[in-house]
Amino acid sequence: MFSRLESNTRRIAAFDARARELKLRIGMGIAEARAIHPAIEVVEADGAADRRLLESLADWCDRYTPLVALDDEDGLFLDITGCAHLFGGERAMLDDLLGRFFHQGFDVRAGLASTAGAAWAAARFGGATVVGPGEEEDLLAPLPLAALRLEPETRALLESVGLRTSGAIMAAPRAPLVRRFGKKVVLRLDQALGRVQETISPRLPVPSLSAERPLAEPIGLLDDIEMMVALLARQLKRDLERRGEGAERLQLHLFRVDGAVSRIMVGSSRPLREPGLIQRLFHEKLTALATDIDAGFGFDLIRLCVLAAARLDPAQADLDGTMADAAGDIALFADRVRAKLGDEAIRRPRLVESHLPERAAAAVPFSSLPDDARTAIRQPAVGKERPLRVFDQPEHVEITAAEVPEGPPLRFRWRRVSYRVVRAEGPERIAPEWWREAEKSETRDYFRIEDEEGRRYWLYRQGLYGATTAPRWFMQGIFA
Amino acid sequence: MAAHAVAQDLVRTLRHQIAKIEGRLAERLDERQEAASQELDATGGKDMLPIGVQRLDAALGGGLPASGLAEIHGHASRDAGAAAGFALALVRLLAQEKGVRPLLWVGTADIFREAGRPYAPGLTARFGLSPENLLVAEAEKLTDVLWIAEEAARLDAFQAVLLEIRGNPPVLDLTATRRLHRRALLAGLPLFLVRAAGEPEPTAAPLRLTVAAAPAAPRLTLAGPLAGSIGPPAFRVTIGKSRTAIHAAFTLEWIDDAFRERRKHSATDTVPVVPLPPRGPAVAAAAGKGLAGAGARRDAAAGVQPAGEQYAAHRRLRRTG
Repeated sequence: MFSRLESNTRRIAAFDARARELKLRIGMGIAEARAIHPAIEVVEADGAADRRLLESLADWCDRYTPLVALDDEDGLFLDITGCAHLFGGERAMLDDLLGRFFHQGFDVRAGLASTAGAAWAAARFGGATVVGPGEEEDLLAPLPLAALRLEPETRALLESVGLRTSGAIMAAPRAPLVRRFGKKVVLRLDQALGRVQETISPRLPVPSLSAERPLAEPIGLLDDIEMMVALLARQLKRDLERRGEGAERLQLHLFRVDGAVSRIMVGSSRPLREPGLIQRLFHEKLTALATDIDAGFGFDLIRLCVLAAARLDPAQADLDGTMADAAGDIALFADRVRAKLGDEAIRRPRLVESHLPERAAAAVPFSSLPDDARTAIRQPAVGKERPLRVFDQPEHVEITAAEVPEGPPLRFRWRRVSYRVVRAEGPERIAPEWWREAEKSETRDYFRIEDEEGRRYWLYRQGLYGATTAPRWFMQGIFA
Repeated sequence: MAAHAVAQDLVRTLRHQIAKIEGRLAERLDERQEAASQELDATGGKDMLPIGVQRLDAALGGGLPASGLAEIHGHASRDAGAAAGFALALVRLLAQEKGVRPLLWVGTADIFREAGRPYAPGLTARFGLSPENLLVAEAEKLTDVLWIAEEAARLDAFQAVLLEIRGNPPVLDLTATRRLHRRALLAGLPLFLVRAAGEPEPTAAPLRLTVAAAPAAPRLTLAGPLAGSIGPPAFRVTIGKSRTAIHAAFTLEWIDDAFRERRKHSATDTVPVVPLPPRGPAVAAAAGKGLAGAGARRDAAAGVQPAGEQYAAHRRLRRTG
């Protein structure tokens, strides 16, 4: 028995068949129930865990249709339009689903109908029925108002005027119903009867293309999975070719025998169609994830989906199927690095219009596409000396001696080493970007500095002498 | 006869061991090696990248190998600027020779944290490396970094690969460097192993240069050198290991996308260490040997026959280039 805290009282949220025999009710206070039956066992309900379970069930249901939606706390909608024939018809599909759920230890009620509302009612009140088109009215008529997915308040109002079944509402004149109880009543009725379209919004993006293969013998080895990827990629290639597209984002779904589903995504910086290339991307990703994927007793269904596709015009390839262009080689290399080590592993610098040195160059993830023409600037400002490398954060420098306060230092300490300045160039004053920064930041004076051994550094002083706070010195980068 | 059979057996065992190290079939190893060594003879031995400084090129036997692994060391992580700068200058020379291609700069995350990240505006201004031609790859683990470098080393689409590593990690041993070297050789790609704060240790690289920063010459203005200013970057290059095995040190300056040697080392900046560009043949002759490399080039451009000693160097430079 599960309890839930409702308005400061512990109440029964759910119970099993034995508790039902004890004449307990849902919503009854725990104290009251204990008074009647002191031996009952009470467990705190965990809404988040219930949700997780429901989501993993929804994942599992992906094997029947890509359109799976969550319904409240305890239901799932599966839009099986065009999927039933793959499982040998609607009845067979329903039996298959119920059978598999039963073997996994779930008590599931299901209904199948041409409208979401009727299926909902069939699942909750009909008991594993397949409702054919046009049979909705017969199904709903004898059922109580709860079968119409109405709120409890509306239901209580309708019942108070004697409308106790769905059939009664169907028979009642519509206009007074709408006037008195709102549009919702009639809308729900129309949805259940198929007079108004009701769309189910799937919880996951629906892939534009997918290929799958159910396996009689579950597989668990990485090599086998990769082989399946290549096989599915070959199936996808035909469809992609027909559409003149290439895949930019691909997802691999691995359905484990016991119901867990793993999703593995790879991205590509240019549209892909070649099965060999797709397999290589997944090879890197799978070897990188090898420890994270638990094959358990194996996977019995493998699906490869194209989540995003882009136009790809056919190009002349070499006879052995390799791409001849250098940019393609680099793109594939970068994609493999990204698949294995993540998007951050390989990046390209991009110049940004900004005065502040740390903002003037950004690192963007690699993509083979050129920069957006509006934001891209090709050349940095000429005539300014800029260092070869800069530190992630400017590092604090202690000035031990200076000729004049405003000028460059004579000696400084950086990373616990003392340096003597031989020559210095500067200052180059860089004012903060007031249009961007919320809080007031200070002016910087940059100096190029050479030490005794000829190493060249880029130091700056933040703040001005005579201001309220003393200026501080920082090391921002080093020159060649 | 028996001794021969034993020797053959030994060779086969060794081959299997090599195959295991390289992760390939032993049967393939034989012809692969043959092909590789043929290719090495055809290109790796002769294809050189002249640095443009006559004395250094002569000491290195014609210049830098244009493919394969080359080590560039710095003494401390403070020298990462000089070491990377020298490598980038070499990449620039390559681009001038062979046309511009993208450069891959790969390093461990700790070296980028310690010595700073590549900064695109500085790279563009000093070494002519535009941002779209640079790819920066980093990973926390050294094995991942080596994987990236190995995968990149077989792509001839890159201009070069800059592999930056700090210190002397045990993972990067003779075997690992040999793999890198071999792949880079086969692809005809130079792979610069930049090591800040690394001790010299046996690797497969045929060349090791130690690079430190040198005091820069003052800026040149129309009125002569500007006292107290910091001019173009200068490097102190020491040949640590080379096939021609001449241990020597040079001071090079990177001026206008070309290396020049500075013979007279001077830390004070009152003396102009770089003479003004000669304005005619007479001045060029007067500049003497100190500017041999640069002088020879300029003479050739001016259509003047170089001196006998310079002639050979001049010819060789042209032919290999």
